[in-house]
Amino acid sequence: MVSESVISARDVRMSFPDGAGGHVRAVDGVDLEVARGEVLALLGPNGAGKTTLLDILLGLTTPRSGDVSIGGSNPRTAVQSGMLSALLQTGGLLPDLTAGETVRMIAALHADPADVDEVIDTAGVRAFASRPVGKCSGGQQQRLRFALALLPRPEIIVLDEPTAGMDVSARHEFWDRMRAQADEGVTVVFATHYLEEAEQFARRTVLMNRGRVLADGPTDEVRARAGAAYVTVSWDPTAAELAQVPHVVRADREGARTTFRTEDSDGLARYLLTATDARGLTVRPASLEEAFRLLTEDSATPGETERPVVSADSEEVRV
Amino acid sequence: MTVATNPRTHVRGGYSLGRYIAMDFRRNLRNVGNSFFVIVLPTALFLFFGASMDWSGEPVGVGNVSAWTMIAIASYGAAMATTSMAGSAALEIQQGWGRQLALTAMPHGAFIVAKAAIAVAMAALPVLVLNLAGVFTVADMPPGVWLATVALTIAGSLPFAFYGLAIGLSFRSDAAVGAATGLLVILSFLGNAFMPLDGVLLDIGRFTPMYGIVALARYPLTDGDLVSMGGAAGSDPLWMVLANVAAWTVVFAVACLLLQRRRTTRR
Repeated sequence: MVSESVISARDVRMSFPDGAGGHVRAVDGVDLEVARGEVLALLGPNGAGKTTLLDILLGLTTPRSGDVSIGGSNPRTAVQSGMLSALLQTGGLLPDLTAGETVRMIAALHADPADVDEVIDTAGVRAFASRPVGKCSGGQQQRLRFALALLPRPEIIVLDEPTAGMDVSARHEFWDRMRAQADEGVTVVFATHYLEEAEQFARRTVLMNRGRVLADGPTDEVRARAGAAYVTVSWDPTAAELAQVPHVVRADREGARTTFRTEDSDGLARYLLTATDARGLTVRPASLEEAFRLLTEDSATPGETERPVVSADSEEVRV
Repeated sequence: MTVATNPRTHVRGGYSLGRYIAMDFRRNLRNVGNSFFVIVLPTALFLFFGASMDWSGEPVGVGNVSAWTMIAIASYGAAMATTSMAGSAALEIQQGWGRQLALTAMPHGAFIVAKAAIAVAMAALPVLVLNLAGVFTVADMPPGVWLATVALTIAGSLPFAFYGLAIGLSFRSDAAVGAATGLLVILSFLGNAFMPLDGVLLDIGRFTPMYGIVALARYPLTDGDLVSMGGAAGSDPLWMVLANVAAWTVVFAVACLLLQRRRTTRR
């Protein structure tokens, strides 16, 4: 398949006043290329800059600097032509309209909308189409927003935490519907703070924190980095012994205990227990938040005992 | 079944603003509370105070007291309509519906056109209903004067769109817009709309926002002459009436401008 870029962002920057006279860099020099038909997860904790970046891609926010091109034109043109659409995180609905009326009303504002009834079925809105939006559950409102996103028959769909407020089965069902869209060749970019969602649905993941891209590559690879674990043993190695230990990202010694951060806890544990005299081994997986923090630290200030790290700002790994 | 087919060319610019306006108008009309206060209440007020009093048939200017009352109550209904329409439009935009609309083919300016059209239509409703009620009861004016007052009543409600917008922009709540609409009862009383004022109240009333638009709508009927319970009536020159309307329009419009600027710089 020819890899043709449909979303192209170069050195995009955006900052907001922080209320204390300074500025918060919400998006701080992001580069992003998304190929046609790609499914990409934008993974990051709250406040990572995901929503701001998506707003910029949609033309809802004008970046302070940088270039954004959607299918060769600017975001606003892409939206008006119906090429690009989105499911937004909050608000966006009138409580006194019914779900069905909302779909019809927004359909009137698209140049070449899909058939309203078809969209209502595809997005699973049929069951509550005549209910006022204000009386719909969070999951139902999310399905309605999905229907609105499908109306312009988009080639690119941007989703900002689409399953927020959904229970497990609703989440499952939502991704099934989304997968059907992706199978049709629709390019999907979604923001999430669930690592599982990125793993299950996206082949490529972009890891973001504090407005910067920390990692960008196949989800498995990013997960390996984000899904780091800590292995702690009682061991008093020499510097040479320490240097031989495989799979180690970082080592910290605290008294008689040595803690390794690793991307392969099994391999490391096997080595420590068979090739060295380390004892009392414990393994603790790093939480996603922790992984984000560690990745940020790695790219900023290398510690003293640190071993060579897979650099967070290394070349992009493309699918 | 999926909706998207790929690749495909898109037609540009074919959105239907007319259909959006019609649907949004229906939505606002369906809002029972709103429609009651905008249409039913003013009509009831007129039927009670304007059409069934002993003095309803007394002559005023080129018509009668009933017509004089009808015009003012219609102004009150129309101002309520534009206030609540503009106020709720400001809330819609701020509560995220604006973001939803920004993801359609409709340009931002078209939303303002749509809302203006809906506000005028909503303002026209109480005016038409009240004037019909007037036709079928005792209100009396020459046909030409009647048409002129109807047009002036609807036009006079437009400054109150800025008033509603300013409230919506500063308080960002439905309750505030409701309160602003409710406040129009007091402003209408001070604006000489419900009963003829005299003395100090009239002196104060002349400087309040409803006074100008009510006096302007009545101008074809009265030529500016005031009606008084006591018999000692004065007259408002046209320039004074227009100055009131212009001044309050500027005040409300500038307030909107300042609030909008504050909102955008804060982001």
